[in-house]
Amino acid sequence: MNKPISPAISAARSPGLRIRPARIALGVMVIFLLFPLTKNDYWVVNLTQLMVYGIFAMSLSLVWGYGGILCFGHAVYFGMGAYIYTLIVKGMLPGFTGILGTGIMALITAISGVALFAAVIGYFLFYGRLSGPYLGIVTLAMAVIAERIAVDWYYIGGYNGLFSIPPFSIGGYQFIDPLALFYLVLSAAIAVYLLLTHVVKSPFGIILRAIRDNEPRAESFGYNSARHKIITFVIGAAVAALSGVLFAVVTEFVSPTLIGFSLSTEVLIWVALGGKEVILAAFLGALAVRALEAWLSELMAYYWLLFLGIFFVIAVIYFPRGIFGSWLADRYEHRIKGRS
Amino acid sequence: MADLIIQILNGLNFVLVLIMVAMGLMIIFGLMNVINMAHGEFFLLGAYTVVVTNQIGLGFWPALVLAPLAVGLIGMFIEYVCIRHLYQRPLDTILATWGVSLAIKQLIIIFFGPAGLTVSPPLPWMISVAGINYPAYRLFIMTVALIIIAFTFYIFLRTDFGLGARAVIANRDMAATLGIDTRRMYRTTFTFGAALAGLAGAVMAPIMSCDPQMGLGFFIPAFLSILVGGTGTLYGVLAGGAIVGGGDSLFSYHYSPVIAQVVIFSLAIVLIRIRPQGLLGARNNE
Repeated sequence: MNKPISPAISAARSPGLRIRPARIALGVMVIFLLFPLTKNDYWVVNLTQLMVYGIFAMSLSLVWGYGGILCFGHAVYFGMGAYIYTLIVKGMLPGFTGILGTGIMALITAISGVALFAAVIGYFLFYGRLSGPYLGIVTLAMAVIAERIAVDWYYIGGYNGLFSIPPFSIGGYQFIDPLALFYLVLSAAIAVYLLLTHVVKSPFGIILRAIRDNEPRAESFGYNSARHKIITFVIGAAVAALSGVLFAVVTEFVSPTLIGFSLSTEVLIWVALGGKEVILAAFLGALAVRALEAWLSELMAYYWLLFLGIFFVIAVIYFPRGIFGSWLADRYEHRIKGRS
Repeated sequence: MADLIIQILNGLNFVLVLIMVAMGLMIIFGLMNVINMAHGEFFLLGAYTVVVTNQIGLGFWPALVLAPLAVGLIGMFIEYVCIRHLYQRPLDTILATWGVSLAIKQLIIIFFGPAGLTVSPPLPWMISVAGINYPAYRLFIMTVALIIIAFTFYIFLRTDFGLGARAVIANRDMAATLGIDTRRMYRTTFTFGAALAGLAGAVMAPIMSCDPQMGLGFFIPAFLSILVGGTGTLYGVLAGGAIVGGGDSLFSYHYSPVIAQVVIFSLAIVLIRIRPQGLLGARNNE
């Protein structure tokens, strides 16, 4: 095999070449920061929700695009985060009162609870050496079952879910104003973006990509691939939980559809269409598909999902790197053809 | 006592149909390395073939022939327009077939609506043996499933095609260098697997409510059966189907369907942690 130098290594050698995507990211950030100046309230509210999905998509980008873990049940973490947060702030979880019942503590509990759950699941999956398609279907089964549990569990609202979640507050300030929510979610999105880019660029991220591209080789260098995958899985789950909490904060309701099959596969489509190997591309993919869906599903009704399915198949066959992915990627980050 | 026997028979019924679906999935996966996410939708299409023949007044029986034919042809078409382009990227086939499954499900919703449809049972009488009454149609399903399973085993263990197919499963490149036309074999296999799922859907249609989500309800246990039983061998599917299907029926009867799913899923995960190659599978390091 006369492969060129591994893309991970060449990227590590020449950090200067990463300026281009960083500039684009900065540009996107500035556009979002200044957006409320347009005084378009409808889109401010809309964008707040879209950014929540964008954060969710970024978490899957790390897990799938960089970790090579095809996760068909990522919404389980999103939904679990939303449910745990909601149960705590509504005072429905015994023992979580007083300081433990505040928004911040609920947020932290939700994220750490989900991370712990992901660590347990990951331990079984990755030390069971499950990979590729197997992993996809097992996580899919997880999503379907989680949804059925949520539907059947009367205590957490059953089929109808939970409503009238009290607003998120920090030190007495309540996030009710749409603009305040917009900036809350935006700052979370920026923080997540910076965190994930840092993870991806760190030595850990480079090892991760080495495992993704050639697992036996990375293992023969002495890296514990299962442990790296579990850590990635946990980070991805924690970020997904954060986006779930933000969803509960913004929309003030949670329902079983958040935890199940359809959202899991939707996020997969956003990320695949956006570009799974570039975190910003995944974020933009989520925004683009959701915005398009809001517009076209009125026009096309049932035909929208048919169109999306067919378009997705075409994209998988002809644009495996996604629509924004090829545009935003480093020149030196091209994947080895034939691997995914 | 009579109750228990009826429950066992119902469980057996589920197990046999599950094995039928899982065998198609396994053959496609073993041979082509393709996880066919649209397999549940092939089942769905088979069931809706029955709905169509009922609506145009042909009744149930023609569907028994039409369903595998139609679904097989659809499978062949999908292999030609979509999967054929992805043999070099096996992991992407899971995404592409998932897109196909989404499109098929949506087409069904466009044509038949999202609500469940019922089909009148074709053999509406009971058979009673030793004081136990059991629906004749369910016995018919079991007979069909048994015949199809035996037929599949015959094809794979006793015919030239089966020999070639097993060679491809064992070592794809070696089989190709020995002159086996793997591309043609892929197409045949995919068509055959789709037809199996279509037939399974058709025979199950009269005892289920046909709704656009019914495919997923069979796809997941079918896949778990393969996972538990191990890939690469048809006997693995038998064992896996018996454990997953039997366990599911048992726990559904004693507790609830949700608890059954959770228990089976947890068991499957723990099992693959202990025995990654499945119960009967041979370790295949690719």
